[in-house]
Amino acid sequence: MNKLFSRGSDALAMAAIDSGLKFYAGYPITPQNDIPEFLSRELPKVGGTFVQAESEVASINMLLGASSCGFRVMTSSSSPGISLMQEGISYLAGSELPAVIVNVSRWGPGLGGIGASQGDYHQATKGGGHGDYFIPVFAPYSVQEMYDLTVKAFDVADKYRTPALILADVMISLMRETLIRRYPEGIKPPEKSWAFGERKGERQKIIKSLYLKGNELEVHNWKLHKKFEEMKKNEILFDKYLCDDADIIIVAFGMVARVARSTIELARENGLKLGLFRPISLVPYPEEELFSLTKTCKNFFVIEMNTGQMLYDVMRILGRNVNIRFYGKPSSYVPTPDDLFNKAKELFNI
Amino acid sequence: MKDNQKFNTYQTPSWCPGCGNFGIWYALKSAYTELGFDNNDVCMVFGIGCSGNLSNFIKVYGFHSIHGRTLPVASGIKLANHKLNVVATSGDGDGLGIGLGHFIHTCRRNIDITYIIHDNRVYGLTTGQTSPTSPQGFQSKSTPFGVIEQPINPLALAIIQGATFVARGYSGEIDHLTSLIIQAIKHKGFAVIDVLQPCVTFNPNFSYPFYNPRVFKLEDAGHNPEDFNNALKYALDVNNDKIPIGIFYKISKPTYEESSEELRDKPLSEYDISDISISELIEEIRES
Ligand SMILES: Cc1ncc(C[n+]2csc(CCOP(=O)(O)OP(=O)(O)O)c2C)c(N)n1
Repeated sequence: MNKLFSRGSDALAMAAIDSGLKFYAGYPITPQNDIPEFLSRELPKVGGTFVQAESEVASINMLLGASSCGFRVMTSSSSPGISLMQEGISYLAGSELPAVIVNVSRWGPGLGGIGASQGDYHQATKGGGHGDYFIPVFAPYSVQEMYDLTVKAFDVADKYRTPALILADVMISLMRETLIRRYPEGIKPPEKSWAFGERKGERQKIIKSLYLKGNELEVHNWKLHKKFEEMKKNEILFDKYLCDDADIIIVAFGMVARVARSTIELARENGLKLGLFRPISLVPYPEEELFSLTKTCKNFFVIEMNTGQMLYDVMRILGRNVNIRFYGKPSSYVPTPDDLFNKAKELFNI
Repeated sequence: MKDNQKFNTYQTPSWCPGCGNFGIWYALKSAYTELGFDNNDVCMVFGIGCSGNLSNFIKVYGFHSIHGRTLPVASGIKLANHKLNVVATSGDGDGLGIGLGHFIHTCRRNIDITYIIHDNRVYGLTTGQTSPTSPQGFQSKSTPFGVIEQPINPLALAIIQGATFVARGYSGEIDHLTSLIIQAIKHKGFAVIDVLQPCVTFNPNFSYPFYNPRVFKLEDAGHNPEDFNNALKYALDVNNDKIPIGIFYKISKPTYEESSEELRDKPLSEYDISDISISELIEEIRES
């Protein structure tokens, strides 16, 4: 076991290398430059290729090519760059090519700012590019999860032949904390008989997302959908903290959930029983797990660093018979535990 | 010192001390002053990068656009209202990396825009990665083992792809740069100035001590800017220890606006559409 004091970005990059990353293409953008900088040094040492492309469009298309050769591939960027990649992500999904995409998200819309943000929740979880598809999305809230969820993303991407997204933020990416660098035993990249160069072919191999004949496309879309249904059965991740006796349950992901934990401690010291439900896989969303909390609690407090995006999912899942309140912070200033405690009292009239 | 206060804003530039952007900033303000411009005679379009921060420091119409997309935005402005003087600026990453495709297409369109490339041969704002004009072997944060690719040659590209005014300036030669900017703005057609712009923080090897002894003025060398072959020869001669600055190439050709029937007489913004009636057209469609 390898215990380190690591930055989130380094943890993510180490996880990629431990997962057998062989090809990285990316384009500089703040606040994620630490990931490519780490990989530009370290990836060549393990026989991988690092390329700084001329744009995010080139990066994601290089991934399409490298992934079709059967290698584990990754890119990372931040919000505006991820927007540019959406066409390629849609094509990855349509052509069933595994890839890991990292969004250390920042402020938008437009150029926005470079501070911590959760403004890309909709884009990340509702497809992002054109067409009828979902891709798995994981939201780390610690340096350890930057590592573990990257390993997970590579595994899920290969298993379902899909692009997978890590939705991180600058707080988690640039802070340092204890990391146990442990690649789980038993996870191995599967054989990729579909890839170019893998097996001398009897048949012609074509990788594409173009289906014109008859109902080919419909069949293909249902096939993608079925994979998504499978992911819902197998890949859901979430975390619960002091929910059993809670009067109010906070629903939050990423760095906000991190602050929420301190809020809960503060509130409980002051006699208010708060709990936390934290989706870790944003797609597939832990719907049943969240809904089951309504058996013991009727008050839910959604907190996000945006004007209310995951809120729509929570409202859809919990329905109208519970009391849902929302606090949003669409700026780079991460709310403090005190802020959230005071907001909870204000919004629930305590 | 020229009195170019009119183009100052209340903000002091935030570039690093010694940054080559100061020279470009000063030259632009001086050029506007010498041309007798008012603040609303010019529309500048900025890219994303340290160069783009200029948007806060110069008092003219300003559009701070998307990384790499200055030229399409500038083209939109020029084609909607070609009475405005449009000056676009980009970093080398912005204009020759992510925006290179737009650069080539704007050259071939020959729209009357002045385009200034702040060429520091590095990505400044993102703190020191390789850029499309970094030399081979260049070690940076993203190329610890040295750059493999051959650099982009913006001047040669512009010359062969249809730009009608192609020059190189140096932000250490401010008066010369001012004169280039004035001539570029006066020129009818797409005018490109690639400016050697030291980045003292992230690319100190290509700074004033490197450029000062190497630059020489093409006009002193007796170069005739209408001579395509000689212009290209100078543009391609990148391994010489002497670096030419000045006008490489300048010819007269109809601009896009002059060649377009709708735009020839007046800008789109001056067409009166208040009493346009489409009833006749609808009648015609009905009858057919
Ligand atoms: C789509 C997109 N990708 C990446 C960035 C991040 N970014 C900001 S400035 C810049 C490049 C800076 O280099 P350059 O254009 O040479 O300008 P300089 O800062 O050196 O003036 C990049 C890549 C961005 N803003 N948008």
